[in-house]
Amino acid sequence: MYIELKNINKSYGSFKASDNVNFGIEKGRLVALLGPSGSGKTTILRMIAGLEKPDSGEIIIDGKVVNDIPASRRGIGFVFQSYALFRYMTVFDNIAFGLKVRKLNKQVINERVTELVRLIGLEGFEKRYPSQLSGGQRQRVAFARALAPNPQVLLLDEPFAAIDAKVRQELRKWLKDMIHKLGVTGIFVTHDQDEAIEVSDEIIVTNKGRVEQSGTPIDIYRNPATAFTSAFFGVTSELKDYKAFKSFDEVDEYDKAIVRPEFVKITKKTEVQKYKSSAVEGRVETVEFRGNSIEITVSCNGSVFSARRSLDEPAVEVGEIVDVFIYRIFITHGDSVKLLKNNAIREETVVI
Amino acid sequence: MSAGNNQVISREGTTEIHAQTAGSKAVKIILISVSVIFLFVMLVMPLITVIYEAFRKGLIPYLEAISDPDTLSALLLTLEATVIAVVINTVFGLFAAWAISKFRFRGKKLLVTLIDLPVTVSPIIAGLIFVLTFGRQSIIYPLLESIDFMVVYAVPGIILATVFVTFPFISREILPVLEAQGTDEEEAAALMGAKGFTIFRRVTLPHIKWALLYGIVLCAARAMGEFGAVSVLSGHLRGKTVTLPLQVEILFGDNKFMPAFAVSSILVVLAVVILIVRSIVEYIGKRRGEK
Ligand SMILES: Nc1ncnc2c1ncn2[C@@H]1O[C@H](COP(=O)(O)OP(=O)(O)OP(=O)(O)O)[C@@H](O)[C@H]1O
Ligand SMILES: [Mg+2]
Repeated sequence: MYIELKNINKSYGSFKASDNVNFGIEKGRLVALLGPSGSGKTTILRMIAGLEKPDSGEIIIDGKVVNDIPASRRGIGFVFQSYALFRYMTVFDNIAFGLKVRKLNKQVINERVTELVRLIGLEGFEKRYPSQLSGGQRQRVAFARALAPNPQVLLLDEPFAAIDAKVRQELRKWLKDMIHKLGVTGIFVTHDQDEAIEVSDEIIVTNKGRVEQSGTPIDIYRNPATAFTSAFFGVTSELKDYKAFKSFDEVDEYDKAIVRPEFVKITKKTEVQKYKSSAVEGRVETVEFRGNSIEITVSCNGSVFSARRSLDEPAVEVGEIVDVFIYRIFITHGDSVKLLKNNAIREETVVI
Repeated sequence: MSAGNNQVISREGTTEIHAQTAGSKAVKIILISVSVIFLFVMLVMPLITVIYEAFRKGLIPYLEAISDPDTLSALLLTLEATVIAVVINTVFGLFAAWAISKFRFRGKKLLVTLIDLPVTVSPIIAGLIFVLTFGRQSIIYPLLESIDFMVVYAVPGIILATVFVTFPFISREILPVLEAQGTDEEEAAALMGAKGFTIFRRVTLPHIKWALLYGIVLCAARAMGEFGAVSVLSGHLRGKTVTLPLQVEILFGDNKFMPAFAVSSILVVLAVVILIVRSIVEYIGKRRGEK
């Protein structure tokens, strides 16, 4: 493990911002810290950077405990959510700052800054001040500035939050390629699931100061380890009484039964279907076009939940009575989660 | 000092009313005249009177009056106290503003309140406090006497009083700027390996430069004009512990009106110079801010 957090605790007054946090990150990986607002993501990042001191526990980078090493000597690149560009310095001076502090010679600084400016595609903007740049351009300057001193670790706090959707898309891809190309180890904070899935090699899900689960995006999506991740990840709906749906095993004690749109199959009365005997009837409540699919909410056995249909399939209408078949359900009890498969499918696997 | 401001306010006021009572020119004329007359009576006339009285007997007596040794030493003492007050309060103001805006600590509210104390306490009372603290009845008086360091009725007392009354001016100007800026940029600089002083010089100072200059100008203006606290601590030892405002008072008390006005004119000139510097600082600062 290149970066490791061991039993990290951090409180602000009586509020526990980090509660026994443990995780490890391998070299060269880009990891997402994903969690709701206030779950302690920024706190974790600031502790790794040395801007905040943990109350207890160890932070290890490249085999060394860095708890007592000040931020200025950890050699970590940090991109702030607000970018924190130096307002009174030009783009060039912003990027050069970390190099000038190291007292490198002018020639070297010039070359490195020019190289980075080219990397972020801002040639010709060197003399501008941050206030004269667009949000996306500022973001890239912040990125270049953090990379200038060749850090081995790059931390990014919601790097795309202040950027509009289209530019964000481009920047995400750009960031991912760049980090892999440079071979640095990166951690970025986000509370956008799509962003985490799309950009990261690995996701660490945080909640109330704790790490709920970590793993590859697909792993967390398929096998949520806790009640929180099962409900947090993806679009989820809750079933009031899952036993009303046919052919599931009975579980005596549970708190919630959760379904995702991918778990639900909606069939028109006129269509043929495989699991007719295990389907139940439902009423279509809303139909919405989602760009690449149709999102439908149905009410069925007293619960309302979402499902998707492909654009190729015949359209359904609001008010229509349809057959609803559920492939699988997450059952939560306390902190634990259990996956129930519809027994009608038996050994067949469902592609989600 | 407030001539410029008053004019601006009254002019804006009249256009607003003018818009509501469209066509009513009389109101506009009355309001403008009232403002102008007010300004004239309260500010311009007194200033003209000072200059007029100072030069009434001609240039030679004027020059004689202001080259009087007591007056010159008063001017020097005023400048000395002002420079020292500005330096001390700049250093203190920077530290205090920095501490208050950048760190979380116990007693922060108390510190902010204490900084404002000098402007809320009457200068006379401030003077008396120092007399009681450092004078003969004080418990530390024997100690001061043994090292031959006199505060009351001596130059250190004058300086102390001046520093005290101008205490909040600089920190009060910097504080809002530092608070608005937050700590992100400093943290970013620290993460890139910069040390405390480099961060201050390269990141923080450019932000507060204009506010700092403005604070210094205000502090200097107030320091030069200080009368109350200095008067209590001075003891009026001519040529030793008398500042320009005190010198004016002494001359006035001796019925030497012409010299009193002549000395006052020095203060007026200093005030005008400060006013000009202030306007320039404000102008440049604003232009920078807009960019
Ligand atoms: N300096 C501080 N003083 C007191 N409480 C703090 C401080 N910094 C953070 N907290 C608290 O710690 C908790 C975690 O904060 P943190 O900034 O790490 O959340 P986050 O996961 O980054 O949230 P967001 O997604 O909204 O940025 C919050 O409840 C916050 O109020
Ligand atoms: Mg945050």
